[in-house]
Amino acid sequence: MRLRNQSTREGLTGYLFILPQMLIFLIFLVYPIIEGIRLSLYQINYQNEKFVGLANYTTLFNDPVFFKALTNTVVFVVFIVILTVGFALFVASAVFDKNAKYVSFIRGTYYVPVMVSMVVMSMVWSFLLNPANGLISYFSQEMGLGTVNLLGKTQTVLPVIIFVTFATNVGQAIILYIAAMIGVPKDLFEAAEVDGASRWQVIRKILIPSVKSSTIYITIINIIAVLKIFVVIQLLTGGGPNNASVTLMYYLYNNAFKYNQLGVASAVGVIMFLITLLLSVPQLRSLIKEK
Amino acid sequence: MNSKRFLVTIVALILLTSIMAGCSSKNNEAGNNAGDSGKKEKVAIKVWLTPQWKGVLDATEPGADYDSFFKHAAEKFTAQYSKYDAKVDVEVIAGDQRDQLLNVNLSSGTPPDVIFESVFALGDYVHRGALAPLTDIVDDASKKDIAQSYWDSVTFGKDVYFYPFQNNPGTLVYNADMFKAAGLEKFVGGDTEIKTWTLAEYEEILKGLKDNLPKDKYSNAYPMALYAMNNQGDTWNLAYLRMFGNKFFDDQGNIVLDDANGVKAAAWLKKIKDAGYTNPGPESVSSNDVNGMFQNQQLAISFTNPVLFNNTKADMESGKLKKFDARLANIPSESGDPLSFTYVTGAGVFNTKDEKRMEVAKDFVKFFSTDPELVKSSKNAIPVRSSVAEEFKSEKPLFAAYDANSKYLFNFTGNVPGYSQLREVLYPELQALYMGASTPERAVKEYQTKGNKVIQTNKANSVIYGNQ
Repeated sequence: MRLRNQSTREGLTGYLFILPQMLIFLIFLVYPIIEGIRLSLYQINYQNEKFVGLANYTTLFNDPVFFKALTNTVVFVVFIVILTVGFALFVASAVFDKNAKYVSFIRGTYYVPVMVSMVVMSMVWSFLLNPANGLISYFSQEMGLGTVNLLGKTQTVLPVIIFVTFATNVGQAIILYIAAMIGVPKDLFEAAEVDGASRWQVIRKILIPSVKSSTIYITIINIIAVLKIFVVIQLLTGGGPNNASVTLMYYLYNNAFKYNQLGVASAVGVIMFLITLLLSVPQLRSLIKEK
Repeated sequence: MNSKRFLVTIVALILLTSIMAGCSSKNNEAGNNAGDSGKKEKVAIKVWLTPQWKGVLDATEPGADYDSFFKHAAEKFTAQYSKYDAKVDVEVIAGDQRDQLLNVNLSSGTPPDVIFESVFALGDYVHRGALAPLTDIVDDASKKDIAQSYWDSVTFGKDVYFYPFQNNPGTLVYNADMFKAAGLEKFVGGDTEIKTWTLAEYEEILKGLKDNLPKDKYSNAYPMALYAMNNQGDTWNLAYLRMFGNKFFDDQGNIVLDDANGVKAAAWLKKIKDAGYTNPGPESVSSNDVNGMFQNQQLAISFTNPVLFNNTKADMESGKLKKFDARLANIPSESGDPLSFTYVTGAGVFNTKDEKRMEVAKDFVKFFSTDPELVKSSKNAIPVRSSVAEEFKSEKPLFAAYDANSKYLFNFTGNVPGYSQLREVLYPELQALYMGASTPERAVKEYQTKGNKVIQTNKANSVIYGNQ
């Protein structure tokens, strides 16, 4: 009896310790999610709220711009995540076992864009890409090639945004991979060396499997980050040309803050939440299983 | 263990006592204040404004800032106000964050009491029932002093919702030096004139600039600014679409751009873009970009309003910009009459459901919008009051030119519900047009269909149309 009391008390102490975190989690994460789902079923005006069932979702599914935003977001997620993971793996596996100073230099170089605000980065790219007075257009005119408008063509605007976002984000992944690779036990590499394994075999058979949990983590955080892609769109293209680069987050922002369609914006939020959940759960599951 | 407990108890008691002491001293302070002001009830109101002009009367005053005028007006107001012990808090908000801040604060029930901003950006809040009518604070003297066209732009349904203070007419601005360099002296107007060209003359100017502007002096320069990246500066695009006589809105507030004249205007825009008379890539160039290009003498003709124009001139004087001869011109039209529009700036009062605060807010708006000294500050843009314009006409010679334009003014918003959403429909169609993804016929048709859908949806929720 006394033993049970003691274990209950210990459990209670544990719960008390996580109580502040749980409260914050409930108030700032769980409550907004539930409220968002509720709002998506209402038409909200300044003076009243009216229950409209799934009308907001119907509005969304009848709007071609929503589907454009959905497609663009998926394209961004797929390409940016693949590029980020692939390139970060490549850089990290190439440098992780080199001289410490060299590794620090590489890490620092790739990490600088991560530290710079996305707003500043977007402005720099805008300065380069602007068709009327941008640097790229200026040089191309000087060389007699005419004006270049990469942001003004539906075929080129997506690749440009993918590249800009990838270039800004990849530093984070490189840092995480290098840290994970440095932590891989040395005896594995020694054994591989004794067996006469090539560098490619070491990377494929030892490094990549050893950093699997990092890969899953990097993939999840990048998926979530890219789903929320906004600043670069707002500053570089404004969703254009002709809605060619509009994303779900930008569409949500327009509905919530420009059109004051809070119900529709909440419906977009709910759909984004479901997509994130669908994409993240299997990966989280494998991460937990592994542990 | 006991001593530890004792220590914790003592600390807790000290904390508790100090909190209580802090609270009670605050209460005393509040009580004393109430006593000082002759037992008048305290009412605090919040005023928001977007950056308009610096200083009370002039930007040259020491410490001049965007909130100087309202802080001064608040002091003057509270000193003479007898109904309540009023307190006025003034806050400047960024123009591009206006809707975000207002929507968030409206949703959480904490809107400001007064907002001072361009009226066109706030019409939607009237339709949503967020603003209170101000008809009861407009007196006959003001009705006479302010021209009817200004009252029309602040009237929704039967009521006045904003007290007009000043206005910012939109025109073109041109670089007279570039005109002269291209041999176009005969088209240059006087420096206190807003020059009116016919459409044929305008096309001649564009061609002359394209063909004859010396490349060594003006490298990478283009005749005219054209932009459609986002909704910024879209009023000029709306004006261009009226160039061939399309009236844009019908009497019921529906878009009627899809006719022969609307198509002609869209085709004209595409034509000048394709002919190389504009900056390249208007589909991904913003009004900010072209403004910068004009200031750097990469564009000969651009858009402007009095505030932008004065800022450009001031930057030239202070050495921030290289000096050149910037002058004003009207947007031409096929009929020969200039296309003229203006942004009326004024104050609105939010419907906070707190009667006392709304009463003070209305009294404050009436005070600074009618006080003979305070209304003089409207000279920083163009005054809506004839009396102020008259007083400053010798100091500001362009006032007369703007006044002469006022008979051509058109109401570019049509005061339709959902105007801000409507703005989001225009630029994608223009982008499609410039990129060649759409034809002039299709672009105006699509805009009309989508735009009217936006208006219908918002009409259904508008308090002005009696649907709530």
